[in-house]
Amino acid sequence: MTTRPRDVSDRDTGAALILAIGFVVMVGSIGAGMAALVTSSLNNRVTLEQVRNRQYSADGAITEAISIVRSEVGGALDSCTSAGGSAVDTMNHVATRVDWINACRTVVDASGNVVAQRNVIFSACEDTGSPCVAPNVIIRAQVNFQQAETGTVTKTFIQSWSVDR
Amino acid sequence: MSTERSLSKMRQHHDEGESLLEVIMTIVITGLTITALVSSLANTAAAGNAQRRSVSSDAVLRNFAEAVKDATSDCVAGATYTIDYQAPPTYTVTLQPSDQMCPAAAVAQLLLITASDAAGSRSEMQIKVRTP
Repeated sequence: MTTRPRDVSDRDTGAALILAIGFVVMVGSIGAGMAALVTSSLNNRVTLEQVRNRQYSADGAITEAISIVRSEVGGALDSCTSAGGSAVDTMNHVATRVDWINACRTVVDASGNVVAQRNVIFSACEDTGSPCVAPNVIIRAQVNFQQAETGTVTKTFIQSWSVDR
Repeated sequence: MSTERSLSKMRQHHDEGESLLEVIMTIVITGLTITALVSSLANTAAAGNAQRRSVSSDAVLRNFAEAVKDATSDCVAGATYTIDYQAPPTYTVTLQPSDQMCPAAAVAQLLLITASDAAGSRSEMQIKVRTP
């Protein structure tokens, strides 16, 4: 009895199908990678748009708050009695809260008169129903309100404007 | 001897049939896969293009918004302001209200900016301006 050497075609049986399956897996991986790329890009785009809306809403809310404070600031030039306050403004589908505090102080002008330097610090954050806390502040700004002798605000000056988030 | 020959003949016959089936299946699977790959590539290209247009439109929107804020930074109540901004050739930017008039001193004015390109990508955003 002689041993017959194994036929080469026996070893090749099924090779084409395995290659095809391997090809499918490879193409599937490429497809999944491309789908992940597109999804990631879209997510980034949405995130950037949210950040943009949040920042411009905070900007608008502070602008609105400056107008509010402008009409409230007044009184005697040698006193610092204006109080702080808060307001909520909605823009670009984002509700933003602005808190402001009075940073007023009196100074002596060139003529030796005591006058108030009316500075107000504004902090804007997304509205959660409670006052803005430092880590959530989107924009912080200090504004000077220039007053006439009558107490009317004649001009406002942005002294600092920092976008924190 | 004759049994061995007949076995070998059967195996050859068996292999031939399987090989043909494999080839057909391979062609079908490969064809479907390549079709899916080409389709996937086309979708990715389209999504990338839409993404690029959207980002460009957003940049135009932001630049215009900053130009408006810059123009209103030295506003005088009741006067008009001029926006120094030239949109890229394929983009159109509109402002509502379009009168470009400085608001009263104690009022912040809400403006709507819309940027759109020739292919139909459109972005809009609200900003507020005031007279200093």
